[in-house]
Amino acid sequence: MDPILTTNILNVVYEVSTLAVVVLGLAVVFGLLGVMNLAHGEFVMIGAYCAFFVQTQSLPFLAAVPVALLVCIVLGLAVERILVRPLYARPFDTLLATWGLSMLLREGVEAVYGRGFKSVAVPLTDSIDVLGADYPSYRLLLAAVSIALVAGLVWWFVRSATGRRIRAVVNNRELAGSVGIPVTALARNTFIFGCCLAALAGVMLAPLLPVNPTLGLDFILKSFFVLVVGGLGSLVGLISGAGVIGGVESIVSAFLDRTYGYTTVLVIAILFLWLRPNGLFPRT
Amino acid sequence: MASFLGHSAALIAALAVLPQLVGEFWAYTLALYFLYAIASLGIGLCWGQAGFLPLGQAMFFGLAAYLSGLSLIHFKDSWLLLLLLPGAALAPGLLAYGIGLLVFRGRTLSGPFFAMITLALTLLAFQIANSWNDVTGGFNGLKNIPGLPGLSDFTDLYYISAVALAVCLLAIAWLRRAPAGVLWRAVAQNEQRVRFCGFAVQNVKAAVFGLSGVLAGIGGALYAPQQNLVTPQLCGFLLSADLVIWAAVGGRATLYGPVVGAVLIGILTADLRDEISYWEVILAAIFIVVVLYFRQGLMGFVEPLFERLSRRRAGRTLDSPARPQATGDTGFALDDVRVRMGSVSILEGLDLAIDRPGIYCLIGPNGAGKTSCFNAMTGELPVRSGHIRIFGNTRTGAGADLLSRIGVGRKFQAPSLFPDLTVAENFNIGLWGGRARLRDLLRMDSHGWTSAILREAQARFPFLADEDRRAGDLSHGQRQILELVMVLIAEPRLILLDEPSAGLSQTETQEVIDAIRWVSGRHNACTVIVEHDMTFVRELADRIFVLHQGRLLASGTVAEVQADERVRAVYVGASA
Repeated sequence: MDPILTTNILNVVYEVSTLAVVVLGLAVVFGLLGVMNLAHGEFVMIGAYCAFFVQTQSLPFLAAVPVALLVCIVLGLAVERILVRPLYARPFDTLLATWGLSMLLREGVEAVYGRGFKSVAVPLTDSIDVLGADYPSYRLLLAAVSIALVAGLVWWFVRSATGRRIRAVVNNRELAGSVGIPVTALARNTFIFGCCLAALAGVMLAPLLPVNPTLGLDFILKSFFVLVVGGLGSLVGLISGAGVIGGVESIVSAFLDRTYGYTTVLVIAILFLWLRPNGLFPRT
Repeated sequence: MASFLGHSAALIAALAVLPQLVGEFWAYTLALYFLYAIASLGIGLCWGQAGFLPLGQAMFFGLAAYLSGLSLIHFKDSWLLLLLLPGAALAPGLLAYGIGLLVFRGRTLSGPFFAMITLALTLLAFQIANSWNDVTGGFNGLKNIPGLPGLSDFTDLYYISAVALAVCLLAIAWLRRAPAGVLWRAVAQNEQRVRFCGFAVQNVKAAVFGLSGVLAGIGGALYAPQQNLVTPQLCGFLLSADLVIWAAVGGRATLYGPVVGAVLIGILTADLRDEISYWEVILAAIFIVVVLYFRQGLMGFVEPLFERLSRRRAGRTLDSPARPQATGDTGFALDDVRVRMGSVSILEGLDLAIDRPGIYCLIGPNGAGKTSCFNAMTGELPVRSGHIRIFGNTRTGAGADLLSRIGVGRKFQAPSLFPDLTVAENFNIGLWGGRARLRDLLRMDSHGWTSAILREAQARFPFLADEDRRAGDLSHGQRQILELVMVLIAEPRLILLDEPSAGLSQTETQEVIDAIRWVSGRHNACTVIVEHDMTFVRELADRIFVLHQGRLLASGTVAEVQADERVRAVYVGASA
């Protein structure tokens, strides 16, 4: 196969699979709590800064994972209790509150680390020969870990008792509560879980991104459009949405430039709103 | 009117003396924040009035600033500026209106979706401004923009900004009180009811968004000559976010809130940003607290007093214009209509036709498809196959606003009205729908419209004469009646009523029966009622249609239907 084509295909795979991890967190929270967490992207940003923090402490890259999880559990707990729970009945205000939170986190990180770009060293610097194309092994590893993560979580969601409870709550919150499912605790844990997924993605992507306080914006927009395109129905929807958005953006950006990639994604999202307002795979 | 003039005079006087009080430096700073305030007023319109949140308003501000800056650079001292500068202010309005039409066309998800689209657009605008070096000057922006011809010192700049702000404030004050303002607040509360009153909601919202674009445009167009520099940051999400914060903290639903927020926080920020390193964090926290606990913002503490003083309603003295003359046949026909939701089949080939005026009842066990039949007819449920003809024309999938304008009225099972508007305003939305032209929506006179049906209804139901009450404070039964009257005053020829007597007392039910009979007879209307209460049905129905499992099971007079074996089987549960 043509090495350039192979590289591009691998780029799309890497782009789509990492995006899927971010979106999964957003989708689970939206599905269960009905909360569109506009600060989701900022949790990705925080994950990336955890990787940077670990590097400044001369700790190994992997140490960023527990640090990020710890930070997000604490933050997620507080946010769920203070912002999300009191606003369950006011979805529009939740949108605003989480948008305010996104500013708070962004400005908070900026106050500590400043506005400038930070770089995190790539843990694996070598590259691997894939069908004649020289591809950075860290990206390959990242795509593999992302796919494994999403697949594992879905398997767990389908098989485990907790997964079943979550699905029950999504289906009918009152009924689930009345048969003894601890809805409040489940909602809290799900919210924290969603934040942790975002942060994990942030840690993994940190070496490949210019780490700066505003990097979350890009992720929340892309994730939101993935949900618009894919629909909230199923994993298939999520992955196909991530495929369309991540794929189109990386292809158009590769051939033209980022502005066009961005515009194309926007146009696709608006078209979907008209033609398939519930996405490719709507919730039944 | 007198209070409006007094109000305006006070505002203008305050703005005129301000520079003498605060000195030249602060006058100059204020001038800048007045421009931001004008843009923030637009957020107040969208979010505080019509109920949708734009997160990318800076793109309009920035666009106008670039257009105005380029005009000033290339046509310095030319008379063309007289056209170009207003054009720079209006262009963002057109763009906003276009975006609004595109986005609001899609119905679902429009809450977060609209906000996200505008946020994405503002990032896109920043990228374009930042990378299109030839035109925008790229990262460094447009430099050395000449000022407005003939104006030089700081005080001149202040007065230009102050005049612009005052004009915008007065225009908005007017619009908020005009019927248009009532319509916007109605949209924020219950889009569905607004559509069923005959308004194309997407156009109303696009117009509001367009107006907010003009406001941002005015601010931006004046920014370029005032600051002599336009950079990509003016289109960016940070300014967009600031505009929203200012509107929220000042009070998004109040007239002066966005201005107070912009000026107060803007100046505090300019002052404190360097002294307190966490100022932006504090500001974000303040925003969250406002969202959680003080939705009315700072002006929320002050403005209700004004509102109460100034809200003196004139009586209803003006007969509303007549509805356009009806055309086409009477009644409707459903032909083999099928509706599915996911894997559940709701209507399975429903045939139902009524071609004469009269009162008809639709009965059937729960889940028979009665309400779905109404939903399919009014475009609320997608029809998979089959045809729906209304007044002789095919209207399969037609939207509620169009149907309402041609004479279809619908009352919902749970009362659907505007709880935070007064009874008077609820009636007015009903009266304006299908009758008011754009200029009627801008005239204060239209608040005083009345009609024979409204007078009759107020005589029948005395509580409806107390028009200053909040509709949400009425009892359930009263709300049922209010919604019914809202439907009836539009003088529909096809009236769809979903359980109009639910939750009513015996006397109220009798009054409702009389009212329905009176209106149906007066306008030769075709009235279709979904009802469980058999006394109600027996008393009103000329003919009954029985639905079962998404199909028509039987039809006839009350006696005929009661004698029908199949109907008995369905109700009693015996096997046929």
